[in-house]
Amino acid sequence: MRKGFQRRFDPIKVLTDSQVEAIHRATLNVLERTGIRFESVRALNVLKQRGCKVDNETKIARIPPSLVEECIRMTPSSFAVKARDPKNDLCFGGNTLYFMGSGGARYTDAKTGDVRMPTQEENDQYILLLDALGTVDWFSSYSPYFEVEGVEPVMLCPRSLASRIRFTSKVSRGAQATDTFIFETQLAQAAGMQLIGVCEAAAPLAYPEDAINAAFEYTGAGFPMFIAAGSVMGGSSPATVAGATITNNAELLGAVVLIQSMRPRTGIIANDVVNPMDMQTGGLLFCAMGVNLHQMAFNQIWTQIYKIPTMNCGAMASNSKLVDYQCAYEKIHTAMVSALSGANSLILHGGVTAELSGNPILAVIEDDVANIIGRTIEGFEVNEDTMALELIHAVGPNPGSYLGEEHTRTRWKKEYFVPAVADRLSYDEWITEGKKSIIDRATDRMEKILSTHKPLPITAEQDKDIERILEDARKHYRNKGLL
Amino acid sequence: MNEEVLKELKDTVLTWDRDKAEPVARKAIELGVDPVRCAEAIADALKIIGDKYSRGEAFIPDLFVASKVADLALRLITEEIRKQGKRMDSLGKVVIGTVSGDIHNIGKNIVATLLFAEGFEVIDLGVNVKADGFLKAVNDHKPDILALSALLTTTAMEQRNVIEGLKRAGVREKVKVLIGGSATNQDFADRIGADGYGATGPSGVKLARQLIGR
Repeated sequence: MRKGFQRRFDPIKVLTDSQVEAIHRATLNVLERTGIRFESVRALNVLKQRGCKVDNETKIARIPPSLVEECIRMTPSSFAVKARDPKNDLCFGGNTLYFMGSGGARYTDAKTGDVRMPTQEENDQYILLLDALGTVDWFSSYSPYFEVEGVEPVMLCPRSLASRIRFTSKVSRGAQATDTFIFETQLAQAAGMQLIGVCEAAAPLAYPEDAINAAFEYTGAGFPMFIAAGSVMGGSSPATVAGATITNNAELLGAVVLIQSMRPRTGIIANDVVNPMDMQTGGLLFCAMGVNLHQMAFNQIWTQIYKIPTMNCGAMASNSKLVDYQCAYEKIHTAMVSALSGANSLILHGGVTAELSGNPILAVIEDDVANIIGRTIEGFEVNEDTMALELIHAVGPNPGSYLGEEHTRTRWKKEYFVPAVADRLSYDEWITEGKKSIIDRATDRMEKILSTHKPLPITAEQDKDIERILEDARKHYRNKGLL
Repeated sequence: MNEEVLKELKDTVLTWDRDKAEPVARKAIELGVDPVRCAEAIADALKIIGDKYSRGEAFIPDLFVASKVADLALRLITEEIRKQGKRMDSLGKVVIGTVSGDIHNIGKNIVATLLFAEGFEVIDLGVNVKADGFLKAVNDHKPDILALSALLTTTAMEQRNVIEGLKRAGVREKVKVLIGGSATNQDFADRIGADGYGATGPSGVKLARQLIGR
C-alpha cells in the first residue's frame, strides 16, 4: 500500500458553518427543483425506482433531498484500490494525500515551448518515468499524452491503458469515451488490477450517455469510481464561486445518487475541476485565484461534511507555454491550497500549455514540488525530543553550536527536505559545473532514471490477453464505423 | 422621431437592456420606421460592442448579453421585414452545431455569438447533432459556411463523418466547412478535408470572413 502524505493538522476552512449549510441546502434545492439531465433511459429507470421524479421527454431526473442524503451516507469515507503491484495499492480518504501524474494532449519542448505529436515510445518512456517518481501515486485516463502519433483517436484510450499496464504497476483511472470502458475493464482484469472508473458530467447539470454507460460498466466490475463535472465559471456554471460550488455539488451528488443506486457502497472520489473562463478568449484559466477558492470550499464541504474523499484537478496544467516562472507559480499556489484545505488527491506532474501539452522534465521538477507540499502538510512534531530544551541549555550562547550535536545529525533529515534537482550550489560551483538550469538538472535526473528503471513486468499470458482485447476493440470500432 | 427610435433601439443593445428590447422594437414598427433600418441600427450596436471586444475593452459576457438583447428585438424586426417583402443584408449564412456524441456547447456558443455580432446570419443546430442533421440543414438553409464543433478527441472523428456525408450527397462543394474545438487542430482539419480550422472564437470569425471573401 502506498503511504502518500499524512496531513497532521486541521485543514484550512474558507466557509463558516452557516455558509456550508446554506450551500448544501441550495444544492439540494437544485437537485429537487431543477434536476439533472441523464442521457440514458437505463439510468432514468434506475433513478425512477429510487423515488426520483423523471421526465422521460427532457430526460431530467429530480432527486428528493432524502435520497441525496441517504446516498451520501451510503458512500464510504475511505476505500482501497488494487494496483498491479500490491505495494502500489491505494487507500483514499482520511488525512491521506496522494498525487496523480498530469499530462497533456501532446509533447512540448521544455525550452522552446514548441508542441508536437509524441511517438508511442515517448509516451511509454514518460509512463516509465512517472512509475519511478516517488511522489506519483496514480495515473489519469489517457495519460500522459492524450494523442500519440499513429494511434487512431478512438483507439487512444484503450491503447493508453495498455501502455500504462505494461510500463507501470501503479493505479490508473479508466476513461469514459465511446465504449472504451468495455475494453479498459477487460484490460485491467487481465492484468489482475482494479481501475478507478470514471463518470464525468457535461456541465451544467447533465450527464452524457458515455459517462453513464461507463459508470454501469465500471461499477459492474466492482471498481471504485471517480466523479467529475468540469464546469467553466461564467460558462457552464455561475461566474461566482458560491454559485459554481452549488452547481458543481449538484452535478457530483447526481452522480453519487446514480452510482449508489447502481451498486450500493461503491467507493467514490469526487473531483473538483472548475475553472473560470477567460472572458477575452473563452479559454480556461488554469490555476486561477477562483480555482483556489472553489477548491477550498469543495474540500471543506466534501471531506468534512459529506465525508467523501476528494480529488482536485486545479493544478493539472499552467496556462504558460513554457516550463518557466509562470508555470511554477501558477501550479504551486493552487496545489498548495488544495493540500492545505484537505484534498485527498491532487494532480500535478508535467501539465503545461493549458492541457494542450505535457513534459516529462517538468514532471521531474514537480516531483520535488510534490515532496515539499506533502512534507508541509505532514507538519512537525512537538515533544520533549524535538523541543530540545536540554540541548538548547547545553549549547548555550555563542560560540555554542548545534552542528556537532548528535541531535542535529540524527534529526535534520526528518525535519528538512532535500530537493533532487533544485540548484543549491555556490555561484562559483554553478559556473564550474556549466551554469546548469533547473531544466538541465531535471533532464539529467530523467535520463538517469530512464537508463536504469525497469517496470514490474507483466506475464507473457497477460501480454497476449492485452493484444487480444485491443484487437477486439479495433473490431468493435470498425463495426461502428469509427475506424 | 424615426431617428430617435432608431437611437433608442441601438442604445437598448448598447446598454444590455433586455426588458426594453421587445417594447422598443414594437414601438419602431408601430411608428412605421423602416424595419431594415431598425436591423441596421441593431447591427451597428453589436458592431460597436464587437469592436470593443476586439480592443480588449469588452468581454465575452458583454457580447453574449448584447446578442440576446439584439435577438429579442430582431425577432420582431425580421418578421416585419418579411411582411413588407424586404431583405436584410448579412455577411453570409452560417449553420453551426456540436457533432454527434458531444454535448459541449460553450465553445460553439461563443463562436455563434461572435459570428452573429460580426454580421453573419447564424442558424444554431445545438449539440449532439448527427451527420444527417447537418446534411439536412445544408440542404434546407443553403448556408455559405457549415461550422462544426467537437470538444472530445473521440467525437472529433464525427466531423470527418459529417464531411463524408456532404460528399456522398453531392453538396460538399456548395458549402465551406469550418471546424473547431479542443480536440481539433490544423493538421486534423487538413486530414479530414475541412476548409478551415479556428483555434479560438475570434480566429474562427476571421477565417469565416476569409472563406467567403468578405
